[in-house]
Amino acid sequence: MLLKKQIIFIWIILIITLVGLFITDILLGSVTIPVKEVIKILFTGQTDHSEYFTIVYHFRIPKALTALFAGFALSVSGLQMQTIFKNPLAGPYVLGISAGASLGVAILVMGISSFAIVSQFGVLGNWTIVTAAWLGSGLILFLIMAISARVKDIMTILILGIMFGSATTAVVNILQYFSNESMLKAFVIWTMGSLGGVSLAQLKVLIPGVIIGLIITFLLIKILNAMLVGENYAKSMGMNVRLSRFLVFFSTSLLAGSITAFCGPIGFIGIAVPHIARILFRTANHKSLLPGTMIIGGIVLLFSDIVSQLPGQENTLPINSITALIGIPVIIWIIIKNQKLAAVS
Amino acid sequence: MKKPDKILKTDKILKTDNLKIGYSSKKNSDNVLFENINLSGCDGELIALVGKNGIGKSTLLRNIAGLQNPLKGEIKYYDKILNDYNRPDFARMVSFVSTEIINVNNLKVFDLVSLGRFPHTNWFGKLKPDDINQSLKALQMVGMDDFSRKNINEISDGERQRVMIARTLAQDTKFIILDEPTAFLDLPNKYETIHLLNRLSKQENKTILFSTHDLNIAIQEADKIWLMMDNEIFEGAPEDLILNETFNKIFENTNLHFDKIKGDFRLKRKHTEKIGLSGDGAYYNWTKKALERLNFSVEKGNESISHIKVRSEDGQPEWILTSNKKAHTFKSIYDLSLYLKVQIK
Repeated sequence: MLLKKQIIFIWIILIITLVGLFITDILLGSVTIPVKEVIKILFTGQTDHSEYFTIVYHFRIPKALTALFAGFALSVSGLQMQTIFKNPLAGPYVLGISAGASLGVAILVMGISSFAIVSQFGVLGNWTIVTAAWLGSGLILFLIMAISARVKDIMTILILGIMFGSATTAVVNILQYFSNESMLKAFVIWTMGSLGGVSLAQLKVLIPGVIIGLIITFLLIKILNAMLVGENYAKSMGMNVRLSRFLVFFSTSLLAGSITAFCGPIGFIGIAVPHIARILFRTANHKSLLPGTMIIGGIVLLFSDIVSQLPGQENTLPINSITALIGIPVIIWIIIKNQKLAAVS
Repeated sequence: MKKPDKILKTDKILKTDNLKIGYSSKKNSDNVLFENINLSGCDGELIALVGKNGIGKSTLLRNIAGLQNPLKGEIKYYDKILNDYNRPDFARMVSFVSTEIINVNNLKVFDLVSLGRFPHTNWFGKLKPDDINQSLKALQMVGMDDFSRKNINEISDGERQRVMIARTLAQDTKFIILDEPTAFLDLPNKYETIHLLNRLSKQENKTILFSTHDLNIAIQEADKIWLMMDNEIFEGAPEDLILNETFNKIFENTNLHFDKIKGDFRLKRKHTEKIGLSGDGAYYNWTKKALERLNFSVEKGNESISHIKVRSEDGQPEWILTSNKKAHTFKSIYDLSLYLKVQIK
């Protein structure tokens, strides 16, 4: 049991780290911009160099904000899934949300465009792709909702979610098989995830979506705590199981679905971060676990983004590989150190 | 709902009315586990539900706890049908402990117990000073107040069961329903748990219903027994059920019978040989038990056949077996039984 002082200390460290990484993320990039100029742009919105302003305002700030909110959204939705399914290996994508999104994108990129309706779909992250991904994950969400209203056992929903995911992936594979090289490459690059493709205009959709999802989740703290002891107990304590499930699935889909639509599937954050928060705060109570997971998620994804830029120049590594390389050692470390992972969540 | 102060001890505040339980199926005919269940419970009673495995004890409890709907018939609390209560009201009246073992990493005993305040707190689950006091008081009532900061998976099974009972006390309900609360416990913990339930039913004036396999404990502690037989269900004080031979109906097709005088279960043995036994007090009784286990029919003081004399002078007991005019002396019942086993062969 941590003392109040220790908890406050952890929070101060986390927030300083988050702010520090956010600023570092803006400082780094293919063009070197003096720290002074960046701070000037950040706080006054003005600079003598218009090209610096363009780079910082139109590229680096949107990218850092995307990393921040993607970290929030994915880790919080992962925590929700681990709690509702009482499974330490659940993540935001167990419901098949990312598979649905990739089906949407695959149909767009490799299906429709092969009929030359959209001959040039342009840069990744444009509205067409976002809409396709959203439609795909929305379809899966709709299926999950329809099932969760009818199926009593929560584990059945988990298995069906995984089945949907696999079926969707199979369809995507068939599409990949029949598509030509350039389309295939475009699709594969989308699956690698990218934080850099989100424009300021798109952020105006993404950020409110994530904030609404986060607000719903924070309203669910009491319900998530009750779900820790299983739906039977929760029901016996007066919880409305159907409504609660609906709200958890809805907010998870909103969070993970929005991020996947704009950035592609980003793995491992959603599974690893809730465990880091559990280790750090040594509690299962969502009152501290939920905000903790959110902040650590932001930290980890900002850090991953910084690492992905380390090669410098124009090359950035695919973010999905970085999160995996950071997430996997964390999970291994937790398993070895804790050895009670099966009882987590 | 009647005000609690108007309730008489003879009022049947819990009733089942021609209840039919089981699982409904759309395609096939319903899977009926039990029908024509007419039972009742009064204020401040400890009720034990007894019956063999698979007969439907858990299903009956789940129905009464409102977690499953009956196929037919009604369950009434204070003469009002269960389904006419809204969920939160019902959760403030009836709490439930299932056989599920709660095993969540980092979940504090206090956090688990205070979950019982679920139907009393607002949407955010904010614990007011009164909620915290009620939770601490609940832990005190089960003698677990020193454990509030421990993790739930660091305590023993008996302690965890007491914590689960504390959770129902924090829920502050008139009725508590427990499914096999002694299932995973060793003997001392079994007795302590049921005795705790007895004490709570009297001190806190709660009506407590639990299922068990352990007839001996149920007979000693329960005010009333609900006895589920193959086609019938009986209720009454344990003593009534003993005196009217109802208990022996459970064992009609087995080698067991219930000893009305001694108040416990005996195996019906097929005695092969007669043996005489003389001695005093505990030595006589336990030697008799051992001989009966070896399938001897013991005749007190009969020296005309092979017989055993127990002497215990100076606290040094001796068993003298006289058989065919030869005498053997043994220092323990074990040595005696080893010799007799050879003789029987």
